[in-house]
Amino acid sequence: MKFDWSYFWQSLLAPSPQFLNGLALTIIISVVAMALAFLLGLVIALMGRSRFLPFKLFASLYIWVIRGTPLLVQLVIIYTGFAAAGLFRFEDVDLFGAIIKGAVQAAIVGLMLNESAYISEIVRSGLESVDRGQNEAALSLGMTPMHAMRKIIVPQAIRTMVPPLGNSFNGLMKSTSILSIIGVSEMFQVGSTMSASTFKVFEIYIVVALYYLLLTTVWTFIQTAIENTLNVRAGLPPAESVFKRLFGVRSRKQQTTSTPALQPADIA
Amino acid sequence: MTMYTEPAPTERGPIVQAVNVCKSFGDKRILTDVNLEVARGEVVVMVGPSGAGKTTMLRTLNGLEAIDSGEIRVNGELLGQRVNKQGKLVERSARDLARQRANIGFVFQHFNLFPHMSVLENIWHAVVEVKHESKSEAVAYARELLGRVGLADKADARTRSLSGGQQQRVAIARALAMRPALMLFDEPTSALDPEMVGEVLAVMRDLANAGMTMIIVSHEMGFTREVADRVVVMDAGRIIESGPPAQVFATPQHERTRQFLSNVLA
Ligand SMILES: Nc1ncnc2c1ncn2[C@@H]1O[C@H](COP(=O)(O)OP(=O)(O)OP(=O)(O)O)[C@@H](O)[C@H]1O
Ligand SMILES: [Mg+2]
Repeated sequence: MKFDWSYFWQSLLAPSPQFLNGLALTIIISVVAMALAFLLGLVIALMGRSRFLPFKLFASLYIWVIRGTPLLVQLVIIYTGFAAAGLFRFEDVDLFGAIIKGAVQAAIVGLMLNESAYISEIVRSGLESVDRGQNEAALSLGMTPMHAMRKIIVPQAIRTMVPPLGNSFNGLMKSTSILSIIGVSEMFQVGSTMSASTFKVFEIYIVVALYYLLLTTVWTFIQTAIENTLNVRAGLPPAESVFKRLFGVRSRKQQTTSTPALQPADIA
Repeated sequence: MTMYTEPAPTERGPIVQAVNVCKSFGDKRILTDVNLEVARGEVVVMVGPSGAGKTTMLRTLNGLEAIDSGEIRVNGELLGQRVNKQGKLVERSARDLARQRANIGFVFQHFNLFPHMSVLENIWHAVVEVKHESKSEAVAYARELLGRVGLADKADARTRSLSGGQQQRVAIARALAMRPALMLFDEPTSALDPEMVGEVLAVMRDLANAGMTMIIVSHEMGFTREVADRVVVMDAGRIIESGPPAQVFATPQHERTRQFLSNVLA
């Protein structure tokens, strides 16, 4: 086997500025897309619960279409397809001095749309996990349905929503690697370019893999900390340990008690 | 459509007037022409076999269940409905219904305390956020009520750490904090272990003695005999009998009442 160890260590421990830019872009796109997807997912979930039929229909249709088609195809349609058809073209924009590439905007929009369909289902099942009596108690105290939702239902639903939302985010970070298809110079794309010019294909992709692993592992620690804080605040036992999460050693008890009713499959 | 003229809300007269209330779930008739009038300060206990419609009736009295026909007035004001400019009955807005409910306390079989709040916040939350009273006054009143239900030391406890009887007493305090004109109780002790029933009934007895208007669904016949001004017997979605407990228990007029009483008193 040919493996250039010194090149490997150098790329891993002292990555090039381009590579670090790619890493930064991966993180930024993931965080921004996730935040927007959460807001949109909330709107879609509330539309799905609405008594107004057109809203309900729209939410069902949206979830059906988005979840039934691959992210890759969605991205290409949004970025390349729309432009080719003369419908809409993502132009580079200047945001407070930073140039945001059209492809990056398309990536964020595509990931947001895709993720929001899954998140709306997480939100829906989170809201449903709160006992109906909670809403009735709130109403009986003179709260409006809106107030009851904000102050009584959502704070309790959040706790059941965080684990699946965290898993979604984990999946989202990994799916940014397919953004190279529309020419976003995120980490995977930078790695590909480097491998093409140096022919150190194996070394570079191992480094890329390790950086994705670093991202998802760090996130797992953050997610566990969030879940623990919420559980402690609700007077419940702490969440499952980071070790168990990372290495997949789950006790049977935890599987039955902490797995939410709906576990959306990781995207991509 | 009948033309209505709505009388102004009044502080006199009956606090609850339910007239020909009908309610179906799907094509299943649950309430049929229920008429109920409750005077200020009166304690009414609703009894009847399982599935008679007691819970449904109680829930219509604070708009948790919308009615199909008939009308319900609380404090002389139509509940959940209003008369529009054309003289037609229309649904009230969510905000308007919420305002009406703020005046009616409801105690649930399963307490329904808010688990993400401390015991004390459960009690003052709606007072501050719905009635917009000052927080310091609301908290002081919440502490006073907590003392009255015998749980002064539990103010900062988590609701989950309380026993069923304690949770139900907090739930009663939470409803009272809104200073309601009327309190509704749906089998407040039937989810409790037997040794905790007494502590909840004691709180309710104090409340009745203090002159609170109460409508209680209960199977506690001893308590009913002692506290009720009037017993209302429901069966198959209708009120079949009504009168002072001594009379209803001793000389039931209706065969179904006799059957029901022999079951619960046996
Ligand atoms: N939301 C609902 N949808 C459909 N049917 C309902 C609903 N709520 C109650 N029912 C039905 O209405 C009937 C009366 O129910 P209700 O709970 O009012 O009776 P109840 O007198 O309180 O009985 P119990 O003593 O068992 O509490 C029952 O047959 C019940 O199955
Ligand atoms: Mg009932």
